Amino acid sequence: MNRPAQIVGAILIAFGLTVFVWKSFMLDLPLQPSDPEGLWGVEFLVKVRGGTGQGSIRVPLPSTEPGQVVFDERSISDRLRFTIRSEHGQRIGVWSGTLRGSHEIAHGFRVQLAPEHTRLSAGEEEEEEPARGGDDPLKASTVELPSEAPEIAELLSRVSLPSEREPADRARILFAYVNDEIATIETGSEDALLTLASREGSPDGKVRLLATLLRAAGIPARPVLGIRLTPGALPQILPWVEARVDGEWVSMSPTDGFFGARPKDLLVLRRGSLEMVEATGASAVAHRVNALRERLRPEELAAMMVPPNRTLAEISLYRLPVGTQAALRALLLLPLGALVVAFARNVLGIPTFGTFMPILIAFTLRETSLTIGLAMVVGVLALGVAGRVLLDRLHLLLVPRLSILLCIVVLAVTTLALFGREVDSTDLFAGVLFPIVILTMLVERFSITLAEEGLREALIRAGWSVLVAVGVYPIFRSPLAEHLMFGYPELLFVIMGLLVLIGAYTGYRLADLLRFRSFAQENEDA
Amino acid sequence: MRRILQALRREGVLGINQRNSRYTLRWNPRRLYPLVDDKLKTKELCQAAGIPTPRLLAVAREHFELRGLRARLDGEERFVLKPSRGAMGNGILIVRGRRGDGFIRSGGKSLTTQDLLYHAAGIISGMYALGGQPDSAMVEELLEVHPTLVEITQDGVPDVRVIVYRGIPVMAMVRLPTLASGGRANLHQGAVGVGVDLVSGLATHAVCYNRPIRRHPDSRVPLLGRPFPDFERVVRIALRAADQVGLGYVGADVVVDARYGPVILELNARPGLAVQLANRAGLRPRLTAVDDTWRPDRPFEERITLAREIASSGKLA
Repeated sequence: MNRPAQIVGAILIAFGLTVFVWKSFMLDLPLQPSDPEGLWGVEFLVKVRGGTGQGSIRVPLPSTEPGQVVFDERSISDRLRFTIRSEHGQRIGVWSGTLRGSHEIAHGFRVQLAPEHTRLSAGEEEEEEPARGGDDPLKASTVELPSEAPEIAELLSRVSLPSEREPADRARILFAYVNDEIATIETGSEDALLTLASREGSPDGKVRLLATLLRAAGIPARPVLGIRLTPGALPQILPWVEARVDGEWVSMSPTDGFFGARPKDLLVLRRGSLEMVEATGASAVAHRVNALRERLRPEELAAMMVPPNRTLAEISLYRLPVGTQAALRALLLLPLGALVVAFARNVLGIPTFGTFMPILIAFTLRETSLTIGLAMVVGVLALGVAGRVLLDRLHLLLVPRLSILLCIVVLAVTTLALFGREVDSTDLFAGVLFPIVILTMLVERFSITLAEEGLREALIRAGWSVLVAVGVYPIFRSPLAEHLMFGYPELLFVIMGLLVLIGAYTGYRLADLLRFRSFAQENEDA
Repeated sequence: MRRILQALRREGVLGINQRNSRYTLRWNPRRLYPLVDDKLKTKELCQAAGIPTPRLLAVAREHFELRGLRARLDGEERFVLKPSRGAMGNGILIVRGRRGDGFIRSGGKSLTTQDLLYHAAGIISGMYALGGQPDSAMVEELLEVHPTLVEITQDGVPDVRVIVYRGIPVMAMVRLPTLASGGRANLHQGAVGVGVDLVSGLATHAVCYNRPIRRHPDSRVPLLGRPFPDFERVVRIALRAADQVGLGYVGADVVVDARYGPVILELNARPGLAVQLANRAGLRPRLTAVDDTWRPDRPFEERITLAREIASSGKLA
């Protein structure tokens, strides 16, 4: 290999990769064509039986916050009036009106869960920070969290807590106590004090007890209601506790056993209360949560792929008209195919019909399917060769003869398209018309090789061409490759760099090794 | 695989990538290619320098000239119709005699005048030319196989491929047509390649379809050890032709005609690598030796001597 080429290749690759890595990591653009991790469609379904006339149903709605992005909300109000209220920073969906008979209301949204990058720092929480002093509502004793009850004080004195200056350790010990010493019973008490007294309680009861204990120990704490979204499992409503320790919010669950960062499969619904559905004026209320894993729709992905940087957004291909985008998507795949062909020819030494014929064949395959595409390649070849044999007798000159072949192929495709309409497979022909005509070029090369070097050579080369095309085909069909090349066109520089390196490769080809293998045998004999 | 790789490295076998990047790309300027890709131009060049080539009987550059071609071939019995810019022996039609109004092809098939003109028309259309561009059809006198080669030749004319690098002949191989190759001297079509020692002119090794052989596959005549006729003159005219064309890495195809002796058939700017198989020797050590000892403006005889030295030392190594 020569040095200048190596350097140029390395520079091209480094440049392309740098831009690529910068875009994907610094600007956080998705690497996958549809980010399948943690994207969910969630739906709350509430059934209400009407009672006395006027009434309302209140359901907590999740908000976009670190760790979760909520979008695409829609609701069914079923004769009721739907409004969204904000209470202490918590969004509440309120359906109100005259409850008559049974109402089925629903609220659906999509959410992207991600691991929490940054925990809330003290500074960000400033608005919620109370006036300094003892009046922190998150430390206050309430009916739900009776932190000033004597039982609580009694327990705190029994458990030997570290000093107040080490709130993290205090929190940890209290968490360990509720987690280990109090049993979880689904049907157990939901009250903090009853849970403490009986040493067992429902998840809600345990969460309330922990929050109460934390508040009594001087640590701001609040219960949190959320939903656990796990692939392959039903959505599970889960309560847990958030405590502010050293200016950071720490999530902990005395039923699920986590302490520290919130697990990334948890969706936060509401803070400060564990109520899921509150209804007034209704005689009966039932609710259910449905959740389904979802993929991003193309336009959503496109929106995510436009970088936040204004200059970059300006040159993002996703801003082009959709038709242009589709054409460019196909076009940007071609260099990948060329890379494979260059490798096959210059490193492996595979004989093909020209450089681009395998790419063209692969392109034809891309537009159809592997079997149908291959059948078409063989069909066009057979047709072309048969036509050539017939035309040979007429003693025609070259260019008109090849043009007649082209006409025959177009005629055949047209006929097939007519039949295709009959058997309702018109879409089969939508994208394939042009490539198949291009394949006529294959006929030209094939027939010349056939005439001049015999059937064997022609078949070998056609076979290799098709084989390389079949090797390129999965790349052309891969949504990942398409997404990467279209979203990150700078990868073209990487491909160019690799091509420079392949072009500078002066070592033996694999075919050289096979061809000259007798050199190794000679020495064996000697 | 690894063993083969080591053997090739040890022998200094030249691979295709290396030939292209280090030799043909570097020493053969593109502008000189037409001189060798067009056999008519090569012929003119050789004739101007007094280098013998096969006698040209007729040329048809355009379709309308085909009629003249027909008239010109009247009375000719043994000739070759070929494209001026064909590659790898494609499009060559050999006529061995006449039968009635038509001709007899090599191999015994008959051919009408109409077929012959159709073939010529195909040639002019560019059917066999490298890039499919319009071409000329040329008719040359059919060369006669040298008597000492008759028994190892099947239906065709053997030639000698001499590789000349920067004015020094470095390796040579005789190419014998076989039944499998259909009278053509192309190794990948089944012709036999016989390595000939540049010093002694003796056949050293032979190869067919990349496999070493000892006897001609058709006649079973032993190939190794036989002297090649007029070999010294073959190397000399190959070198003279290479000097004329100015390419740094060139394969000269020489035919030893029974009547005229060695004549230049054509030159090749991208000579194949099979010559290494036929000689059981890699080209690299010899090419490197040429590079190491190269001086400008060496007299002809000195270069012939140097070629012998390099060839013999290469054999020792």
